[in-house]
Amino acid sequence: MKKLITVFSLLIATLLSSNWVSAAANLDVNTPAITAIKNSMQARHNQLNPHYNTGAVGFTADGLVAVRDATAVPLKDRGGINSLVAAENSDRSALYKEIAAGNGHPEWAGEIRSTFAGRWVDKAQSGWYYQNAGTWVKK
Amino acid sequence: MSFAQQATAISSIQIIVSEVDAPVGQLKNAKFHVDLKGAQPKLILNADLKPMSEKAFAHFDLKCGQFFTEKIGQAQCLNGQFKSKQISAPFSVIFVSYPSEFALDIDFNGANFSDEAGLHAGEKLTGQIKMAAKKPISTDTWAWNGLISWTAGELYWQPFYFGKADNAFEIDGTFKQDIINVQQASLLVNEVGKMQATATINIKTKIVEDVKVNAKDVDFTGLYALFLKPMAEKSAFGNMNVSGKADWQFEIKNLAPTSFELNLHDATIEDKNGKFGFSHINAHIPWDYDEPKQLQLAYESGHLLKIGLRQTNLTAEINRFSLTAPKLDLPVLDGALSLSDVSAVRLGDNWAWHLRMNLVPITLNEFSKALGWPEMKGQISGQIPLVTYANKQLNMDGAMNFNAFNGSISMNDLIIDDPLGVAPRLYADLKMRNLDLGDLTRTFSFGAIEGKLDGVVKDMVLENWKPVQLDASIQTSKGRHLKKISQRAVENITALGGEGTAVALQRTFLRFFKEFNYEKIGLSCKLRQDICEMGGVESTPNGYIIVKGKGIPAVNVNGYTQKVSLRDLLGRVKRITDSNTKVIVN
Repeated sequence: MKKLITVFSLLIATLLSSNWVSAAANLDVNTPAITAIKNSMQARHNQLNPHYNTGAVGFTADGLVAVRDATAVPLKDRGGINSLVAAENSDRSALYKEIAAGNGHPEWAGEIRSTFAGRWVDKAQSGWYYQNAGTWVKK
Repeated sequence: MSFAQQATAISSIQIIVSEVDAPVGQLKNAKFHVDLKGAQPKLILNADLKPMSEKAFAHFDLKCGQFFTEKIGQAQCLNGQFKSKQISAPFSVIFVSYPSEFALDIDFNGANFSDEAGLHAGEKLTGQIKMAAKKPISTDTWAWNGLISWTAGELYWQPFYFGKADNAFEIDGTFKQDIINVQQASLLVNEVGKMQATATINIKTKIVEDVKVNAKDVDFTGLYALFLKPMAEKSAFGNMNVSGKADWQFEIKNLAPTSFELNLHDATIEDKNGKFGFSHINAHIPWDYDEPKQLQLAYESGHLLKIGLRQTNLTAEINRFSLTAPKLDLPVLDGALSLSDVSAVRLGDNWAWHLRMNLVPITLNEFSKALGWPEMKGQISGQIPLVTYANKQLNMDGAMNFNAFNGSISMNDLIIDDPLGVAPRLYADLKMRNLDLGDLTRTFSFGAIEGKLDGVVKDMVLENWKPVQLDASIQTSKGRHLKKISQRAVENITALGGEGTAVALQRTFLRFFKEFNYEKIGLSCKLRQDICEMGGVESTPNGYIIVKGKGIPAVNVNGYTQKVSLRDLLGRVKRITDSNTKVIVN
């Protein structure tokens, strides 16, 4: 009996694993909240883009961005870089939450976040930085 | 130590020191080379330096194109160049030193420096540092004064950024064992104005312990950009365009703020995302850790989330981390929000507040114009016993009433999540009574319908002010009243449901009638995301009845599509109301 329960738990765990969720979730679901967040991120992208290019800011393994090297930020932008990154991360976290909610499964937010983490790295231009196993890698 | 000496005359002196320990730091691998061959002596110094406050040694190279030490106690280094990992500075220096007295005069030209983390950095700086210090023999306290000024380059000193040159800081102070006491600093900051400051700095911990800054009648644009914005970065006020004049002072004791004051004179602020803005602000915003202060704020006009605000004078009491006011009148559009028992408290980085609200009637005409809606007649009024805001959520207990279209609309249980955020979410229930369909159809140019409507909207959710969920139904009000619907309205309602009936109507004798009597009209929509599940006043085997006719000739308008995309439906409504001048049936 105990063995049977173990097998059953394994089966459930497999069903709930990331592949299954990613396959089922519609990452391109659209709601007014998602549109608003995407617009906000789009507007900010022009400010972040030069910092991706210089390697000042890079993509983290959990689908966010982080300051990698503040000395690469021009002095005039250096004071604002942390709040720029914080605002971007607040939008990104909200986006993952809203996409999960838009799929009718708020509990998928974590999986959607890690799927996006991979997507950001795939979409990154060469020369941009991303985190892999705790270290920064230049694409 | 070694001397390199040629046979005839001394042409150069080289001193190598393996290690020097001094109270201010350590020096090792120092190579000191004086070249006497040219017309003027040159000096080269290479060494590893570890100032007392640093953890590791850092290598530096120092060269003097012209080096003079002719007078006792004086050294001059002209055409100098200092290079280390973090500093690159062409400079000239004159150093005068006697027992218990020294003076230092440095000119730098295009200097760059940065600390490891980039939190303190300068680029292409050209300017001077002058410093003189004296220690009376009987004491152990140095009295000093200094001048730092630069005419070119930029400086970032976290969190402040000096983008414009032509700044001059004059400082008088004392120094006694680890503590620098700035007794009087006069800071002339480009694009801001003149500021005064005092400070206590512990050089061992590198902590500025006590600071007092005072600026009178300075430029608010520069003051905001340079000093206030970096400190307000996380708040709603961190991303604005501002102008005007300001007085500003603050005091920090033992690392904790003890007082603050900001006076604004004819200032204007405008959120860069357009969420709010105020013009011709005159304000006195004081704050003291120990005693309550009176805040005064006046503006000539403003806007908040597109809603216009008129001239306003506010006063409130600030007591440490709370703000209270028995009454605040906010003129809004052509009415007002009369707020009472206002109480706000700062919790961490956020504010929480509650108040009572009385809406002095605002005409719907103004309100609808402000939101870019079709112009409506009527007014909004209401008394809300309690409005609370906490954790970025606004809650309203009680009802807000809109008197519109000769009837009434009441809104209950209003909640708005993150009203100033990227994606605000609004929850509310609505009830509508006796709306005059004549007024309503004229407002939206829909084709005339006479009659009255009742309705309910339950569990309404708006995301970024757009509906994503609701259970709505409207139907003809009970009681006796005129119930007539025009040919055009019939066509339009039919067109909402899609192709078919409208065309059929035109081909029959019914097109000779301008209007029809009806028994009841009704429509319901259960909206989930973009899909609206439609219903009418009655169900039929393959759809629902929207208009149920009465008498002869009687026209029924039926709907067949059960599930409609809200985007498509609104698109059709827009096309119909936009083509209001076209007469489809004569």
